[in-house]
Amino acid sequence: MVTFLQQIILGLREGSLFSLVALGLVLIYKTSGVVNFAYGNMGMFAAYIAYTVFAIAGLPLWLAVLTAIVFGFFLGAATERGLLRPIRHLSHSAMLILTLGLLMILEGLALEIWKQDYKPFPSLIHGRPIFIKFPQGRIILTRQDLLIFGIAAVIMLALFLYFKFTRVGLSVRATAQNETAARLMGIRVGTVFAFSWGVGTALSALAAIMAAPRTQINPNMMLDLQIQGLTAAVLGGFESLPGTVVGGLLLGIIEQFVARYLSEELKMAFALLIILILLLIKPEGLLGRRSAERV
Amino acid sequence: MVLEVRNITVKFGGVTAVKSFNMTVKKNTIHSLIGPNGAGKTTLFNVITRIVKETEGEISFNGKDLATYKPFEVIKAGISRTFQNLEIFKYMTVKDNFFVGHHGEIHYGILQEALWTNKVKNSEKKSMEKALEIAELLGLKNRLNTLAGMLPYGLQKLVEIGRALMSEPNFLMLDEPAAGLNPTETIQLKTLINRLRDDFNLTIFLVEHDMSLVMDISDRITVMNFGEKIAEGSADDIKNDPNVIEAYLGESKYA
Repeated sequence: MVTFLQQIILGLREGSLFSLVALGLVLIYKTSGVVNFAYGNMGMFAAYIAYTVFAIAGLPLWLAVLTAIVFGFFLGAATERGLLRPIRHLSHSAMLILTLGLLMILEGLALEIWKQDYKPFPSLIHGRPIFIKFPQGRIILTRQDLLIFGIAAVIMLALFLYFKFTRVGLSVRATAQNETAARLMGIRVGTVFAFSWGVGTALSALAAIMAAPRTQINPNMMLDLQIQGLTAAVLGGFESLPGTVVGGLLLGIIEQFVARYLSEELKMAFALLIILILLLIKPEGLLGRRSAERV
Repeated sequence: MVLEVRNITVKFGGVTAVKSFNMTVKKNTIHSLIGPNGAGKTTLFNVITRIVKETEGEISFNGKDLATYKPFEVIKAGISRTFQNLEIFKYMTVKDNFFVGHHGEIHYGILQEALWTNKVKNSEKKSMEKALEIAELLGLKNRLNTLAGMLPYGLQKLVEIGRALMSEPNFLMLDEPAAGLNPTETIQLKTLINRLRDDFNLTIFLVEHDMSLVMDISDRITVMNFGEKIAEGSADDIKNDPNVIEAYLGESKYA
């Protein structure tokens, strides 16, 4: 019999990866107003790049990871510049549909290049797993689990400082709030969009690499995580960075409890249902701000 | 001559918003652009700030051809503006709104910021001094850390003017600055606009519907109707111009 506390720890373990995925989604949304459905698959594609550099070219792991992250940055920036900017004046739904198209293109492309079979990918750090002992049993946390947790925390903090205290961050916030005014204040709005897409997609690459030892690299590896990341973002209010991290962790815990006490197969469905109810009660998300329009 | 608009035509599909429009704005004057709703005033503003592209014609600013400018470069030429429907950054503090206005003075990247170099330090200090100076001028000094969207409407309009002033423009464009202001605020605005011309040597180009304000402060007035210029001159000329009276018939506050 696993205890309540154990469930929470296991939930946090899953949830920290959701948070990591969600942060990049939120960054892209906050800046350009686009929910990027291709986000997960862009990370997946970058993970294949890491695999190619590491397993096929035989280069060191750190170099493979770095290559994938840099690749993610340019993939994101190029997507914004080349695909989204030309249709930005049309409508938001046009951009959403485009990201859906990109999701499928990347999946097909990955299948075409690297074929069906799952590719193994090593953990970034090794070492004895940490055992937490309970009277009823024990929980195993690998070093990679802790690393994911740490990276999510560090990135949240870095993004928070970046938005709050830097002039670049200020121009990103300005662009997000009012594109026209920002442009006339001398901000190169296009560069801001491309940069945010770049950083966001680099985060997706990082998340995919962190998830890879568990999921193995395959065209669908980020499918669930994309949905879970989106859910975490919504739960957190889609604007607030701390909210996003809390949302991810909470989703992890909710899923864990659903899997344990209701149904393993339906954990995502039930988790989404619970979130739906939460959002009915608190539509601005856990830490989101209530958008009050004053006249 | 600071601004010279020559033969500007703007067409949106089949609609001609501005038709072969000519006007000039002289240095260090307050120049008002008036006309009934839909006359094309804001469109002309948008052409000058490059948000809208003209179908035909030329605009020169201090001898430079504005057609070669992109919207984000207009501020570097010395042009700054406010908007008809208040385009401030509502979820930012007044201070941050002002700082965005100072964006053109930022010549460093994120890495230098992370290292907090001397260049960054000095630049931040300069922005802060400028922000304080403008807050003082506008009476917003104890509101610097308030979210702009939480302020009363009249103060939000001042925040927008303050943000426009941060870039140290020499040409300030105000799109309906008095709209939504109460009578006291309108009087304060009048004083402010006069001060900006006299103490800060600005050229002010404004669109406004409040005729008492326009007649009071303008050195020169241009009247627009259906995209065309129908009159131009001093306040007295305009008041007695039969074309203007006709265009405004029905809302003839001053006819």
